[in-house]
Amino acid sequence: MMNNKKILVCCGTGCLANGAYEIYEKLKYLLSKERIVVETEVKPTGCNGLCEKGPVVKILPDEISYFKVSIEDVEEIIEKTINNGEVIERLLYYDTNENKRIVNHIDASFYKHQHKIALRNIGEIDPSKIEDYLERDGYKALRKILVECNPKKVVDEVLDSGLRGRGGAGFPTGLKWKSCAQQDETTKYVICNGDEGDPGAFMDRSIMEGDPNTIIEGMAICGYSVGAGKGFLYIRDEYQLARKNMQIAIESAREHGYLGENILKSGFDFDLEIVRGGGAFVCGESSALMESIEGKIGEPKAKFIRSVEKGLWNKPTILNNVETWANVPIIIQKGAQWFKSMGTENNSGTKVFSLVGKVKNTGLVEVPMGTSLRELVFDIGGGIIDDKPFKGVQTGGPSGGCIPKEHMDVKLDFDSLDKIGSMMGSGGVIVMDSDTCMVEIARYYMEFLAEESCGKCTTCREGIRTMLKILTNITEGKGEMEDIDLLIELGKTIENGSLCGLGKTAPNPVLTTIKYFRKEYEEHIQNRKCTAGVCRALTSYQIQAETCIGCGLCKRKCPVDAISGIAKELHIIDQEKCIKCGECYKNCPVDSIVRGGAIHGD
Amino acid sequence: MEINIDGKVYSSDGNETILELALRKGIEIPHLCYKSGFEPIGRCRMCLVEVIDRKRSKIVSSCQFPVKDGIEVRTDTEEIKAMRKDIIMLLYLKSPENTEVKKLAAQYGVAAPLRYVDDTSDDCILCGLCVEACKTLGTSAISMVGRGTTKKVSTPYDDESLDCIGCNSCAEVCPTNAIKTVDKDGKRTIWNRTFDLVKCEICGKYFTTEETFQYVEKSLNDDHMERICDTCRKKKTAITFKESFKEIY
Repeated sequence: MMNNKKILVCCGTGCLANGAYEIYEKLKYLLSKERIVVETEVKPTGCNGLCEKGPVVKILPDEISYFKVSIEDVEEIIEKTINNGEVIERLLYYDTNENKRIVNHIDASFYKHQHKIALRNIGEIDPSKIEDYLERDGYKALRKILVECNPKKVVDEVLDSGLRGRGGAGFPTGLKWKSCAQQDETTKYVICNGDEGDPGAFMDRSIMEGDPNTIIEGMAICGYSVGAGKGFLYIRDEYQLARKNMQIAIESAREHGYLGENILKSGFDFDLEIVRGGGAFVCGESSALMESIEGKIGEPKAKFIRSVEKGLWNKPTILNNVETWANVPIIIQKGAQWFKSMGTENNSGTKVFSLVGKVKNTGLVEVPMGTSLRELVFDIGGGIIDDKPFKGVQTGGPSGGCIPKEHMDVKLDFDSLDKIGSMMGSGGVIVMDSDTCMVEIARYYMEFLAEESCGKCTTCREGIRTMLKILTNITEGKGEMEDIDLLIELGKTIENGSLCGLGKTAPNPVLTTIKYFRKEYEEHIQNRKCTAGVCRALTSYQIQAETCIGCGLCKRKCPVDAISGIAKELHIIDQEKCIKCGECYKNCPVDSIVRGGAIHGD
Repeated sequence: MEINIDGKVYSSDGNETILELALRKGIEIPHLCYKSGFEPIGRCRMCLVEVIDRKRSKIVSSCQFPVKDGIEVRTDTEEIKAMRKDIIMLLYLKSPENTEVKKLAAQYGVAAPLRYVDDTSDDCILCGLCVEACKTLGTSAISMVGRGTTKKVSTPYDDESLDCIGCNSCAEVCPTNAIKTVDKDGKRTIWNRTFDLVKCEICGKYFTTEETFQYVEKSLNDDHMERICDTCRKKKTAITFKESFKEIY
């Protein structure tokens, strides 16, 4: 009996890097040559989220999902699974929470707690085919509002849904639209902020790459409801695939009459243009982004007049983040009530997080607002790599804060995170284990911001420079106790004195690590010791005479030949030569090597 | 409209910023990057004040914040004073050798922790007034370049700029004298470019560059301008006045 099968090959950035496209091509080639047993269609899709275990190959309608597929597995997949319906056990997802292999990925711990709204189509469709999007109710919302012909109703629906800006600040989207709709100007603009730049964040990228049409539809809906005829997609330069897929989607939307003049014969004109960002993190800030579109230097402006009144080229402008736009079509389609049924009060809907760092399942996760951090890290993320002790997470990128394990049960929503001094930000979650040095984390973010601040305000530019200098001193063992107070004082001045959101939140990584991990700072300064063994100037390794068995493994592992000793006798580390890489410490079979602070005289 | 500044009520027509009102009334708010005639840029942050608007307090750059009826402005709270000191400290760490910055530090009693002095310190505090001056004149030869802690003011690619006319306005507005113009032997060197200086037809002193003179002629659409310096022009105008008033009295 003939039956139709669909093979979906994840071609998100992570999977592509691991050879997904070659797998897709080989599948296509072999299946075209193959004596046809089953009618099979192979599709490249956007990111499935579990980037760590890519490339991902899904077989429908059997609902079999394979992970970490390599090009050598392709013949076997065709032979066994496509032709004979057999499951290849070794390629199935291994669920570390349940200790078993799982056939359909949606039953896996990583996926079963998720609720996909913004990511609803990603991984299911070929992003370059508008037909795939249409098949999954794409452009229905736009068609619906154009038929109903009541812009105010659209704004009210978005307002009522309680959707808040997913870019980080959490401003109610509907309120923004309402103010803009009330402006008398005839020229208005709609902007999509695709300048995602937080280290470790890739939510927006995945949406632009995997489901570009939903962004276009969201923007067109907004354009209609506020009376704008032109929109810009500001995409950071590094996101090549996102730009390519967005461009294909824009062109096919125009061909199908969803963009351009007289959309769906309604008389409504709306078109989009892609603007390439220049690679500056600060251009993710709305006023800097608009300056950049205008061709000026990407520096934020004072917002005493809001951009919904005077934004791009001084015209009323709506700027929303990629994920916000992706939520719009489905809200219009299913209604505000449906959207509000997810999440918590004042924080409706879902949020996409990119879960990275020392967690077993890294990847893209969409959960209802209000899900606890514990669920995110342990139920979905599968816990810490090698089951090491969990130390905390960093949320919200360089503007966010570090959350210690005591706040593990904090709800992931705008207000709850704000309350404990962190912030939602765009949704990057970096998990840290006991091997993470919090002073070094703070220093890392200051180093990032020292490069990425626009440099306009004295407080931000010079404040960050000075903070970075202080933190570098501390990590190099040159810190003094009064430095902690100076960091706090400077932090306050930067926070209050800077013009834009980047500056106002820049000290967060420093202030929250001092707040929750002050002991580590003190240990670095007073005891000249970095417990995590990260700051090399404050770390030393020594072999204990009582326990060393003289196996010589440490000697073999040492990359700089700093360890000497005869077999079955005590080995010794030459402190002059030692580069404190920790290889001996990690490899000693009897845990005879101890990590300590700086050795006096260093 | 009425605005309360530090407990006293002042009236304003509403077409000004807090700093402009304060300057008009002689209230001291320190500022470095504000200059009347230029668009306020809010870079230096020295003019920060606390504004209480409808019971909500916020800290704003007074050079940019338009006055609003009923707001209360505080220029000398402990918090503002502390921030001002911090900003001066940061400027000091950036430009420890600069006379103007040193003066400011002394005036506000700021002692900066010297071990945090910037390794690449120079006299420029990146207030951007020079860029504004150049832009306002219409030449736009210099601009802010780069971002973050390596941001600087320069010409495109640090090359000699074809747009620069050597007028020296940038150096004249600089609050820290960071732009070093060299006038020597009838030549002026500024922004990596050397210009020929023009002599005053009356006193014979060098007073501007050939390019500046031509730029002014072009801007005023007058190609028969006298090549005379500011001082001689003043003298000449005074004489003309004297002559014309002689007939009246």
